[in-house]
Amino acid sequence: MAELDFERRLERLFADAPELADAGPFADRVERRLDAGWTARRWLIGAAGVIGGVIGASQLMVSNLFQRVETAGDSARLLTSSFNHMTTGADWVATVSNGGTVVWAAAGLAVIMMGFVLTRVIGEI
Amino acid sequence: MPGFGHTKFATLHDVELCTQSAMGERRAFGELVRRHGSAVRGVLRRMGAQGAEADDVAQDAFLTAFERIAEFRGEGTFAAWVKKIAARLYLRRLQRDRRLGAMTAEAIEDEADVVHGDTDATIDLEEALKVLSATERLCVTMCFGAGLSHTEAAEALNLPLGTVKSHVKRGLEKLRTRLAPEDGVVLEGRRGNG
Repeated sequence: MAELDFERRLERLFADAPELADAGPFADRVERRLDAGWTARRWLIGAAGVIGGVIGASQLMVSNLFQRVETAGDSARLLTSSFNHMTTGADWVATVSNGGTVVWAAAGLAVIMMGFVLTRVIGEI
Repeated sequence: MPGFGHTKFATLHDVELCTQSAMGERRAFGELVRRHGSAVRGVLRRMGAQGAEADDVAQDAFLTAFERIAEFRGEGTFAAWVKKIAARLYLRRLQRDRRLGAMTAEAIEDEADVVHGDTDATIDLEEALKVLSATERLCVTMCFGAGLSHTEAAEALNLPLGTVKSHVKRGLEKLRTRLAPEDGVVLEGRRGNG
């Protein structure tokens, strides 16, 4: 019984830790490290998103997207001429196939959007 | 900016602060650090860590706690949870620096240096712990300060359970000899945020 009492007393002694004089500055240092870690993480994941987007876009370019779009454009023109009396809805594809700059611009926008969305998602999390 | 918005969280209970921290509110966690930082650093110092080292380990323990805050189920107190994390981190550091083995070996040599029966009225826990060997101090502080079970302490120290129990038993005997005459005085003499 006395042994148990002493153990309880010892637990209370350990629990009664004195408040250290620099408790505030210590907490500030921990908060600064938390903030620094969080900022670094956001940058890292955002950068990873941009790099991933660039790689994805370059893969699209490498995989002869232009030719495929042009082929699609030719097919569309063929379809358009065939079904000209029914619809003129496929004209936009032909417009796209006229210039690769549109594809490049779309790919660039996709990369920027991907980085932006990732950064926002991390921020929200 | 550290310090901003502290008053907003100062009135909240630890459990509420943990909930907010789990949602990524770093200022809420800062309030927890403000409340329990001294207690965690105190445990580490009692385990034998020097001032700067105790602060480093305590900071790492709080950062780890923030990372794992979702795992905190509120079964015990937040302070007790962080103390356990801090104790384990300190032991890991000792093992990494190969100091733990030296401390364990030193424990056998220290047996002859034990002082018995000093009943100085000014003695407190810090002074009493100095009588213990390094391993005894580690074991007693881990079990009574950080709240680890004997089994958990044995695993963390990588020592047999029986050895840890022996260290704790010997440590308690020494502490009882040192602290027993101060019943009441020691208890009332210290107030903190443990």
